[in-house]
Amino acid sequence: MAAAPAQLFPEFIVDTLGLDSVIGEVAASLVAAFVVGNIILAFTGVAGPWAKRKITAAFTDRIAVNRIGPYGLLIIPAAAVQLLAKELIIPEGVDRPSWDIAPVLLPASALLGFSVIPMGQLGPINLHLADPEVGFALVFAFASIASVSLVMAGYASNNKYSLLGGLRAVAQNLAYEIPLIVTAMSVVIFAGTLQMSGVVGAQTETLVTIAGVSIPSWYAFVNPFAFVLFLTANMAEIGRNPFDIPEAPTEIVAGYQTEYSSAYFVLFYLGEFVHIFLGGAILAVTFLGGASGPGPESISFIWFVVKIWGFFLFTQWARAALPRVRIDQLIEIGWKGMLVLSFANLVLTAVIVGVIA
Amino acid sequence: MSLERPDTADDAAIERTPDELEALLGDLVVGRDDHLNAPAFVIRPDTVQETLRTLKEQAGYDHLSVVSAQEYENRYESIYHLKKYDDPTQEVSVVVPADKDDPVSESAEPVFRTADWHEREAYDLIGIEYDDHPDLRRILLPETWQGHPLSMDYDKDRPQIATLPEHANPLEDHHKDAESDTMFLNIGPHHPATHGVLHLKTVLDGEQVADVEPDIGYLHRSEEQMAQSGTYRHQIMPYPDRWDYISAGLLNEWAYARAAEDLADIEVPEYAQVIRTMGAEMCRIAAHMLALATFALDVNGDFTATFMYAINDRERVQDLLEDLTGQRLMFNYFRLGGVVWDLPEPREEFFSNTRDFLDQLPESIEEYHNLITSNEVFQMRTIDTGILPPEVAKNYGATGPVARGSGVDYDLRRDDPYGYYDELDWDVVTEDGCDNFSRLLVRMREVEESAKIIEQCVDLLEDWPEDERTIQANVPRTLRPDDDTEIYRAVEGAKGELGIYIRSDGTDKPARFKIRSPCFSNLQTLPEMANGEYIPDVIAALGSLDIVLGEVDR
Repeated sequence: MAAAPAQLFPEFIVDTLGLDSVIGEVAASLVAAFVVGNIILAFTGVAGPWAKRKITAAFTDRIAVNRIGPYGLLIIPAAAVQLLAKELIIPEGVDRPSWDIAPVLLPASALLGFSVIPMGQLGPINLHLADPEVGFALVFAFASIASVSLVMAGYASNNKYSLLGGLRAVAQNLAYEIPLIVTAMSVVIFAGTLQMSGVVGAQTETLVTIAGVSIPSWYAFVNPFAFVLFLTANMAEIGRNPFDIPEAPTEIVAGYQTEYSSAYFVLFYLGEFVHIFLGGAILAVTFLGGASGPGPESISFIWFVVKIWGFFLFTQWARAALPRVRIDQLIEIGWKGMLVLSFANLVLTAVIVGVIA
Repeated sequence: MSLERPDTADDAAIERTPDELEALLGDLVVGRDDHLNAPAFVIRPDTVQETLRTLKEQAGYDHLSVVSAQEYENRYESIYHLKKYDDPTQEVSVVVPADKDDPVSESAEPVFRTADWHEREAYDLIGIEYDDHPDLRRILLPETWQGHPLSMDYDKDRPQIATLPEHANPLEDHHKDAESDTMFLNIGPHHPATHGVLHLKTVLDGEQVADVEPDIGYLHRSEEQMAQSGTYRHQIMPYPDRWDYISAGLLNEWAYARAAEDLADIEVPEYAQVIRTMGAEMCRIAAHMLALATFALDVNGDFTATFMYAINDRERVQDLLEDLTGQRLMFNYFRLGGVVWDLPEPREEFFSNTRDFLDQLPESIEEYHNLITSNEVFQMRTIDTGILPPEVAKNYGATGPVARGSGVDYDLRRDDPYGYYDELDWDVVTEDGCDNFSRLLVRMREVEESAKIIEQCVDLLEDWPEDERTIQANVPRTLRPDDDTEIYRAVEGAKGELGIYIRSDGTDKPARFKIRSPCFSNLQTLPEMANGEYIPDVIAALGSLDIVLGEVDR
């Protein structure tokens, strides 16, 4: 067994600063949440205006932003100013306040997911806000709220393209969330717990040792089939190519976000990126041993960052290379293919675990 | 006439003399008005369908290239230019005069579906009305336009009002349905995948398309009228570049050059023909590369790598064309009787650049096959979607890769040879799938054929004796073709049969200049492909048609 998990982040603050009162604990929790939230937002800030462009450019033989600042990095503040300085256009007939709530709800739901993700340690700090016993169920619940936001945006925009995008988002999320969760359940059967720290902890044991290198029992190695299933369903869940149907810019303009501009557009954009990172985080926790990796425990946060950025890179690669499936094909793959496979995986896992244990 | 010939469709391919055709048509013919390219029979305005049906079913003229209409001092006139898909050198024109005061003539739409749009255009621009036409509305100009711009009494100073509400919400009556719930959706004129300012009036049943109607004319620039106010010798040639502006410029210039040279009886030196052939095929590669690029964009989604790769290859062809013509898009390189200047010096450098490009081309094509055509998701998306059966394609006058993707073996470069094509070794590409995938595949394979042609041209040009490099024939400074001479000539443009009809009136400017745009006819097939399919398939079908709105609207 690995070393006992360090204190959670809010508890660490409470202990370090000696805040014993209830108010102190609440304040410490808020501070911790603020820090974690900003880390994620910083990722998004780098990913959206800069990394995404650079990655896509690398895939398509281009250079992309390179004029402002070193490696074009100052495009990030420039883009922020530019996007926020635009006029917020509110089309006639939009259904307020749901039209205003939707863009807030999307990033909020995705950020909420990070509250239970163990993001590894950075020095003495364990970047993990809460570790409830049902953490695993919670993270999927939070991530699913995103589809509510998309439907709200699609319906409230009073635009037919938005409506189509919203409807597609629901259909897609229904079709892929079930396989996603059923596949995750097979991991829960292995780990025997819904607690995030438990799932991560179960993956620290050594699976095999080849030529002196010990391979940890990450569930991606234990059950690669489930990993591929989960990865695919995850791509659909976060709506990236080849499953970017709810936006599908060449078909339905921009889907649910067609009518959004300025700050609202930024919020949607932000929400999508946070959602990608959340997808990466869930994948890392479920199949890639969470924040674990070579080296001391105290830098494991770096491994976590590497894993979620690796997933981000993967989504961008898929975007540059893969054709988009059609909506009916997507639904068919989801209900007729993925669902069956994920249940088969679940039953097999249950049998195997039952026989061995 | 009692001599009713017992003709059947079996001997449709047999070439008939004009007199035999006249005998076949019998009483329908009221006169002869032969054009330079074909015999022309004058008929009464109420026998259009009968005449065309006889010619189509009994004599095998199954391709209505274009309907050109014009107004004379004493009458209106519609000309139906007919050809055979099997042998486009067999041509016949049917001339339908209409009354000056009440220009009404029978519609050919029941015989040739393609006549639908062509007659709407004639109505829109000239003012001839067609009886029995299913949907005689304006097509290029707004519904509220007053007058017909190419008619003689058109007042061009009159202010026109094109109101937006008049133009929006056109399907109020037919998207209300008690049986099913449908939704009307405007796709375009500003939409990421309409390839320009095209407006698709779409009725959706869920995600499926119940009805789609292309609404064109947003890019109408009076190209025909501009050509009519330019002199043959110099002032018209720059315009063709601007029809299909997707770097198919030389192919378009050739259409005008061919028509005008045949009209004025100009012989083009062989050396110039080889240069023309080479340049035109470079343009075809550039145009097909863009078609491939944008099709990948439509199916894969924006940010696909294939788009940039194909644009990159197109860029290399454009570099060659820039060396050759001095321009990258609007070449203005052809002249009546030849080309404007010889190959760039040093010639060896140009040849080696061209060969370098041709050498790396197979590698690029291989990469496109790896990236898209052999991708299973891509195949799932494009195979068996956007079906266009060959008979339907012919009925709509579809040509070019669209027709060849439906197995219609029709390529004017081979079937109605011009330039240097008949001296070279290359093949016409056809695919039998009739779907989006086949049309893409035809374009990709045609790029390879074009490369073969260019290579042979480079070989020829390299060895061409220095004292025989005549780039232009001796053409008079001012051309005045004989009065009332008419000609229709077509070339194989990047998108299909690009034809020009010219009527001269003895002056140095054409009296009527009509452009037969392949995109115009091809776009008309979109509803056939799209109805019943999903929205993404409509977008893919539109992409596979490879239209350029500049050429559709002219």
